[in-house]
Amino acid sequence: MNLLDIRNLSIELVNGDKNILAVDKVSLSMKEGEVRGLVGESGSGKSLLAQAIVGVLDDKWHVHADRFHWRGIDLLRLSIAERKALLSRDIAMIFQEPMACLDPTTTIGEQLSEAIDSKSLTGFFWQKQQQQRHSAATKLLHKVGIKNHSVCLKSYPHQLTEALCQRVMIAIALARRPILLIADEPTATMESTNQNQIFRLLSSLNQLKNMSILLISHDLENITHWTKTITVMYSGQFVEAGTTEQIFNKPLHPYTRALVDSNPSANFHLPAKSRLMTLPGSIPILQHLPIGCRLGPRCPRAQQACVKSPTVTNFHGHKVSCHFPLTPMKVSHKVTKRVS
Amino acid sequence: MLVFALRRLNLFIFTMLLLTLLSFSLSFLFPGDAIINISGAINATPSELVEIQKSYQTDRNIFWQYSAYLRHIVNGDLGLSMASQSKISSEVLNLLPATIELSLVALLIAMFVGIPLGFIAAIKHNKPADNIILSVSMLGYSIPIFWLGLLAILTFSINLGWLPSAGQISLLFEIKLVTGIKFIDILLSDSPYKWQAFADASAHIILPACVIAVAPATIFVRLARTSMIEVLETSYIRAARAKGLSFQQIIFRHAIRNALIKIIRHVGLQFANLVTIAMVTEVIFSWPGIGRWLIESIYQRDFTAIHSGLLVLACFIFVVHILTDFIYAALNPLARGNKYGS
Repeated sequence: MNLLDIRNLSIELVNGDKNILAVDKVSLSMKEGEVRGLVGESGSGKSLLAQAIVGVLDDKWHVHADRFHWRGIDLLRLSIAERKALLSRDIAMIFQEPMACLDPTTTIGEQLSEAIDSKSLTGFFWQKQQQQRHSAATKLLHKVGIKNHSVCLKSYPHQLTEALCQRVMIAIALARRPILLIADEPTATMESTNQNQIFRLLSSLNQLKNMSILLISHDLENITHWTKTITVMYSGQFVEAGTTEQIFNKPLHPYTRALVDSNPSANFHLPAKSRLMTLPGSIPILQHLPIGCRLGPRCPRAQQACVKSPTVTNFHGHKVSCHFPLTPMKVSHKVTKRVS
Repeated sequence: MLVFALRRLNLFIFTMLLLTLLSFSLSFLFPGDAIINISGAINATPSELVEIQKSYQTDRNIFWQYSAYLRHIVNGDLGLSMASQSKISSEVLNLLPATIELSLVALLIAMFVGIPLGFIAAIKHNKPADNIILSVSMLGYSIPIFWLGLLAILTFSINLGWLPSAGQISLLFEIKLVTGIKFIDILLSDSPYKWQAFADASAHIILPACVIAVAPATIFVRLARTSMIEVLETSYIRAARAKGLSFQQIIFRHAIRNALIKIIRHVGLQFANLVTIAMVTEVIFSWPGIGRWLIESIYQRDFTAIHSGLLVLACFIFVVHILTDFIYAALNPLARGNKYGS
């Protein structure tokens, strides 16, 4: 059974008379204990998708989905309040800029202890619940590798570094013992040493506590070290999903191919001072989205059929959404025939 | 925190120096003899005049004259009133507390009505409640204060007869002047009718304070609304929602405090505006405060009273401004620490 199973989720920006489809029918599924990467350029709708899953989008965004299952429970059948209660209990999220995500006027200790579920405390409120909260907060800080807990609990967010703030954010996320942690570019504003520390912390949490992680990033190369499976998005559309080896070694979609090729490490054979491999053009803005496959105008393999949205084809768990998928062209056709 | 306090004190001293410079130059700019303007001794005999000129050091250059003037102010000598020939300092001491009382009560009313209304409007953003609050605040802001004061007297004191229309307290009560602030004096006095006097003083202050509070309250509504909308869109509120806090918890634990930080600095700025409104209102409601006294001295061309009164009122506004700065620092941990290069 899948932990999370989303089929055809669309997010629409309601803007006066014209609606903009920011995320167009994206599917995402996760298994228990899995670390999945969600990769795409900035503006590809990956953060929107994550926020839609947690349910923290504003009123101006409208979310539709054909299927939204969480551990076998159909969330679309529940009321909004029930869904919110269930999701906030089981899913936690950490954001891009940790310092901006902590209330600047409240101490870390207060923010951490208010995230602790009051059900986990014993006794009535006069029986030293404050102390229990404090010790629970201290334990959480130890879990994320902050040893100097007493100083950290007393300080305000602006007195800590970005990496420490992100650790605190992870501690806050862990307070409810979540089953899924969504990390939305957790290291975007950090130096590489701190980045690795955070990633190591996340992967140890995954291994020790069997916590699933959805890791959102724009940097394909960096997250391949930490993820088992990867989903690629482009301009709000689903592109490709598969294991990390499949995506990195045998990409089926021209966009994923370009993404892998644009890495400096993939370009070692190039002569000095020559241009890196990139797709022409840039990601379309939300007001002028192309119809059909949104990669169409930039795609080297685009043909007339691309003005219609491609359907998702499944090659042994390696899903791709393209009319003319890449390498295993002939083989893949045989495979699909056999499957169908 | 100590550095912060010292900085404010420093600012206070320098601003006061500039203010005294202004009021000192006023005595030369007003028509008539500068030494008469500064001391207010219009009926002085030639021998007394020589004495005054000596104490203000008019025979020496302008710098020594200014320092002599400063010495007089520091000693609490603001000169004599040209109209009544009584000491201005004692008049100010009698009148200023009444103005402080009135304007502080009005400020509190404006804050306790305006800020929560603004928060409600922000939470119900783009809904009917928001539009109603916003249009009512626009209406309140555009009403002229003297007209509103007269209308309030007409409705509540003459037609309905609920509240008294003039003065600080009924003449029946004899309250000894200790601090000048009526409520404190009443509580300090040992009169057997203490609580009746207290109720009477409260009834007297309601109408003028409410009239003064209308315009600042509408400004606070708009300030509170915009700052709350801003705060509700920040990432830490989104993170708090993702944490699983309920809406009330988010508002009361995180949003209100951060929104108040943005408002509290404007409170100090708005206070100057409020005192101006209070001066007009004091005239309408015959409130025995410094505003009415100042306006009367303008009518009587009492130049000594004008420049000393301006000095005292400016000083009062500045003290309130510094106090709000301290409240701001108490609410905002970012302002407390010593920052470099600021």
